[in-house]
Amino acid sequence: MSDLKTIVREKLTGGADAFLCLKNEEGTTLPALITDADSPELELVEVGDSRYPLGKILINLLREYPDKRFAVLVRGCDERALIELSKLEQVDLDRLVMVGMACSAEEAAACGCPRPYPGDVALGEKVEAAPGREVIEEVESLAGADRMEWWKKQFSRCIKCYGCRNICPMCFCKDCALEDPHLVEPGVIPPEFPSFHIIRALDMTGRCIDCGLCEEACPADIPLRSLYRKMQDIMEDKLEYRAGESVEEKSPLSFLGTEHDIEKLEQEERHGR
Amino acid sequence: MKKNDKDEIRILAFLCNWCSYAGADLAGVSRFQYPPNVLDVRVMCTGTISPYFVIKAFQEGMDGVLIAGCHIGDCHYLKGNYMTAKRFGVLREALKFLGLEEGRLRLEWVSAAEGEKYADVIRSFTEEVKALGPSPLRKKTTAKAEVGA
Amino acid sequence: MADKELSYRLVPSTCVYCGTGCGVLLEVMGDRLTGTLPQKDHPVSKGTLCIKGWSVHEFVHSDRRLTAPMVRTGGVLVETDWETALAAVADGLAKAKGAHGPDSVGFFASARCTNEDNYLLQKFARAVVGTNNVDHCARL
Repeated sequence: MSDLKTIVREKLTGGADAFLCLKNEEGTTLPALITDADSPELELVEVGDSRYPLGKILINLLREYPDKRFAVLVRGCDERALIELSKLEQVDLDRLVMVGMACSAEEAAACGCPRPYPGDVALGEKVEAAPGREVIEEVESLAGADRMEWWKKQFSRCIKCYGCRNICPMCFCKDCALEDPHLVEPGVIPPEFPSFHIIRALDMTGRCIDCGLCEEACPADIPLRSLYRKMQDIMEDKLEYRAGESVEEKSPLSFLGTEHDIEKLEQEERHGR
Repeated sequence: MKKNDKDEIRILAFLCNWCSYAGADLAGVSRFQYPPNVLDVRVMCTGTISPYFVIKAFQEGMDGVLIAGCHIGDCHYLKGNYMTAKRFGVLREALKFLGLEEGRLRLEWVSAAEGEKYADVIRSFTEEVKALGPSPLRKKTTAKAEVGA
Repeated sequence: MADKELSYRLVPSTCVYCGTGCGVLLEVMGDRLTGTLPQKDHPVSKGTLCIKGWSVHEFVHSDRRLTAPMVRTGGVLVETDWETALAAVADGLAKAKGAHGPDSVGFFASARCTNEDNYLLQKFARAVVGTNNVDHCARL
């Protein structure tokens, strides 16, 4: 993609110390940090077909090199991740320049994320895609006990590789609840229903930016993304919040709260009885 | 709590020190009757209750979990119960999506003066959970199922 | 704080732990291995890894690695030099072989060693000691 190479060169000569993007090396696409506009590595820059959690890599880079400014290639999901991470104080948006790339129509349809493009797009054309709700609908068509059986069957394939957590751009806790022996018993595979997965789902509430990397990293084809997508729906329904949209508004689950936050909840409690 | 009766419904109640625990105490002193299926855990504020505790409770075989805190605006720590309200609205929906009946998790506001309300809540919640039956998350073995042993 | 030079790259490699050979990207920051990512377009692993693959970078800088040869003396592992250690090994193996035959000795290769190291180990087992008792941690 010669456009991308030009943009990388531009950013590197225009103030950024390094550009985090993707390259094609001997047939493999992988993330690359280009530090020099004249670097031969720049010739290998190419978007390719594989997605990586660039936000996650940036957290480490920003921490390791506190005085450097970075430019980064972002899809819609990467931008949402960085916005949310900045509210969680893992990323300083002032040290970042985001170069937006819209997903192609095929990519958007295959992925099914709610917004397959970032705010400003330098590469590609914005296309819309319908978020994939088939799995959520399938689960909701089942009654209580059948629903649980359905999930039990899905989770029974879990080999506790921690891939979903490891690849998630929003996961950065030093002490992970999933490694707490009181919550998730060590040495038990598959993990006891529903501990591992509901802990992850609850932690993703108000955080998940629907990038789908978790499901791609799962060797057992568990429909994780749909579970976390449902958590986002719940967040929006109950607390009027969606992760990754506003640069200022923080997730209601990340601070104690105001009266306004819980008015809706109170109303529902009263009417629900 | 009845011992050695696997079919007896078990409910875990998280009560906040300043309001609902005192309310429960008042219920006891006032001799209000309610079923004996509840195990209570006193916490300083319901805002300290992590959703993980609730998951753990269900995992350990509890059939119902009750969280009772101060009324909105009356929290001893000012906003702790706002956190509770936000968290548990979400948690209930999450459990429902996984197939656990929403009637098994209840959030109530009970003040220190509401002894009778506390008894009412326990009575109605126990009825509701009894109607739902033993939790599908109960472990098959009975080793951990005995409480109060 | 001095200006640290930017040094970050991902090195495509293959996981060492078992015969599947999943594609990994080893994250190198400066002169240290700091993490592992799956190689998403790898024909075998297709972007997934098991827990061993995800932690394949950990053993390299682990502070539990041995830094000196050690010999068990009086029930306790004591640091020593290579001469002493190798003499103890040769002595022990010779004694076992002499008293109970070559099959009384077993050899355990390691996924964390190179193929060349493991080749030498099994060659030593078969040609020098004279036993086929060679196994590998990936079989567990």
